[in-house]
Parts: sequence; structure tokens; C-alpha cells
Amino acid sequence: MEISISGARILATFENVPLFGTVQITQTLAVSLLVMVIITGLSIWLGSGLKVSGISRKQAVAEMAYNALVNFVRGNMGSEFDHYIPLIGTIFITSIISNLISLLGIWSPTADLMTELAWALVVFVLITYHKIKSSGIGGYLKGFLDPVFVLAPINVMAECFTPISMACRHFGNILSGTVISTLIYGAMTVATSALFGALGSSLTVAIIVTVVGAAALLLGKKMGKKAWFILGIIVAVLGVLAVITNLGAEFPWLTVGVPAVFSLYFDWFGGCIQAFIFCTLTTLFIKQAAGD
Amino acid sequence: MELYQSLVAVNPVTLIAQICNLFIQLFLFKKFFLDKVKAILDQRRLAADQEITDAQAAKAEAMEIKATYEKNMQEAKAQANEILDRAQKTATVRGEEIIRQANDEAAHIKQKAAADIAQEKKKALNDAKNEISGVAMAIAEKVVERQLDSSDHDKLINQFIEQLGD
Repeated sequence: MEISISGARILATFENVPLFGTVQITQTLAVSLLVMVIITGLSIWLGSGLKVSGISRKQAVAEMAYNALVNFVRGNMGSEFDHYIPLIGTIFITSIISNLISLLGIWSPTADLMTELAWALVVFVLITYHKIKSSGIGGYLKGFLDPVFVLAPINVMAECFTPISMACRHFGNILSGTVISTLIYGAMTVATSALFGALGSSLTVAIIVTVVGAAALLLGKKMGKKAWFILGIIVAVLGVLAVITNLGAEFPWLTVGVPAVFSLYFDWFGGCIQAFIFCTLTTLFIKQAAGD
Repeated sequence: MELYQSLVAVNPVTLIAQICNLFIQLFLFKKFFLDKVKAILDQRRLAADQEITDAQAAKAEAMEIKATYEKNMQEAKAQANEILDRAQKTATVRGEEIIRQANDEAAHIKQKAAADIAQEKKKALNDAKNEISGVAMAIAEKVVERQLDSSDHDKLINQFIEQLGD
């Protein structure tokens, strides 16, 4: 069995476009548009029909989300950076939806480094703007010679690596989730064929396994032994699946359910935590740049 | 045939498009969600502030009314006290005057009564004197049977009366 992991699918290629040369329109852009439609739809739905008193459950959720966002930004940056609330919120919600959309089997835009790099570059521009604003252009340039002028190249590199590291951190985590999910999926396919290859060599064996499982199930239920009952269920289900496989319907049965457990961590947890980390770093970097 | 990018690919078009997408999304998210919720929260805060201000104004007004009321009450009480004082004083003065008048009148009546009595006494005495003198004259005429001259006569009578009066 061969597993290949590749980047975004190329939907269309345009040759000889002025300025860009060959332009490739990828899945990333298509799904990004879908994500934007989802977020905008959600925003319109949550932001409509708001009332001052006697609020609906929907409005309570909207206000809670808004307050959580405001508290997050104020907690990390203080209230003088309130104008960054929309940006932080947008990056956060876009990241979350982009990460979680892979649960629907759709290509995740955040599995393309360009998406995170785009966000990180915007953040980098803001960081640089605040650095220059707080210490002047001279002070900003002088900062590169700190503590000794010999270190200037390293300082310049460190400055450039801020957005790259931010982008790669997010991208790497999502990518690793995708890679591990793919690997688990492949492994489960192999395991299925191994299991049912042995069980389903003949129809007789499969039927015997089914009957033994059913007997254990009934016996366990009658005698009130839970262990027998559960074992009976497992064996009987295996037997039935083996019978079906024998009858000609081959399907990687173990890929149902098992990868979902892992996706709980890699997609749900990882997806949310990366969005959170990216936004936290954004706030902290901007605050730091403005503070000194 | 399906074409794929490599796992880590640099695609400037995607990069630029994603930057634009971020700002478009920022605009939409802000316009449709953040601004709306913020407006509602601000409105609610304003309403709450308004209510507090109203309550404070109402309280101040109530305090003012209370102060006025208390002041009025105090004034009324002072006035009542004054009226009472005045009434008491007037009553005392009037009472004293009445008593004095009564005393005066009583004294006057007493004096008059005493004068009357004295006059009556004097009158009675005079009457008695006249009567007695007449009687004595008659008796004496009878006894003496002679005409006394008038000087002797008066002398005798007076002597008699003096003896009688003692």
C-alpha cells in the first residue's frame, strides 16, 4: 500500500499572466472563499435582530463571544489597543473555521503555508509599524546594532524570522495533524485487510465466528456476566463483517470510527489551540513592539 | 488528471489573495458582527447609566422635598410655640388684671359698705339723740312743770345726752 501526502490541489493554471507569469489557482483559495462565506453568514446571523433587553439565546451567545474576544485582547494588550480587536477576532475565527473544516473532509486552507504566511506578514507589518512609532525610525534601525554592531545581521535575521516562525508554527501543527490522520487512515486500511484476510479466507470460518460470538453474547446476557457479553458483541460483529467481506463487499471497516478518536486531538484540539496561540502571539508581539 | 502542489509550496498568488481575503473578512466580520454587538452593548450601558442618573436625580429631589418639609415642620412648631407662649402670657396678664379689678372692686365695695355703715350709725345716733332729747324735754316739762328758759333747757339736754351716751 502506498500513501502519498501532497499539498493543495491545483484547480486551474493560467500561463503568461502579466506580472506573475504562471498563475495556479489552488484549492486553498476556493476553500478560503467558502470559509469566508461561512464566517460572514455566521456573523450576519449572530449580528442580526439584536435587542437591548429581553435577549434571545442566540444573542447571548453573540455577546458572550464578543466579550470573550474583547477580554482576550484587553487582557493581553490593555485597553489602549482596542482597535486591534477586529483583526485579532478575524484571524482567530478564520483560523478556527479553516482548521475545523478538514473534519468535513474538505481541504483545510491552513494546511497551505501561504495562508499563515499572509496573516503573519500582516502582523509583521503591524509590529514594525509600532516599533518605528515608539522609538522613531532612527531608534528602530539602531536597535539592530544592539548590543554590538557585529550582531546586526543576526538581529535582522531574527526580525525576519518572527513572521516565518509564526506562520510555520501554525502550519506545522495543522500539517502534522493531516499527516498523522492520513497515516492512521492508511494503517487502519492495512489492518482491516490483514484481519479480514485471515478471518474471511472461507465463508465457513466467518459463519463459525459469528455463531460463537452470538453464543457468547447470549450466554453472557443470561448469566449476567458483562465481560462475556462485550466479548460476544465484538466477536459477533467481526464475524458478520467477515461474512459480508466474504460475500464480495470489501470495505476497510476499521477506518470507520478509529481515526475519529485521533482527529479529536489533532483536528479539534490542535485546530483550536493553534488559532489561540497565533492570536496570543500577535497580541503579545504588537504589545511588546509598542511598549518599549 | 488532478494536479497537486508540493506539501510546502510558495505561491505568490495565494499569498497575495490570502492577505486580501484577510482584510475583506476583517471588514465583513467587523461590519456584520462586531459593530452590531458593540452598538447593542453600548446602548445597554447608556440605558443603565441613564437609569442610575435618573435614580440619583429622583433621590436628590426627594431629599430636597424632605428638607423643605422638615424646615416647614420646624417653622410650624416654632410658630405654634410662639402662639402658645403669647396666649399664655396674655392669659396671665388678663387673669392678673381681672384679679386686680376684682380686688379693687371688692375693696371699693367694702369701703363703701363701711362708709354706709358709719353714716347709718351716725344717722341712727342723731335720730336717737333727737328722739331722746324730745322725750327728755317732754319728761322734764312734765316733771318740772315749768318753763325753762331756752339756755338752761339746751344745757340740761346736752348734759343728759352726754350722760346717756356714756
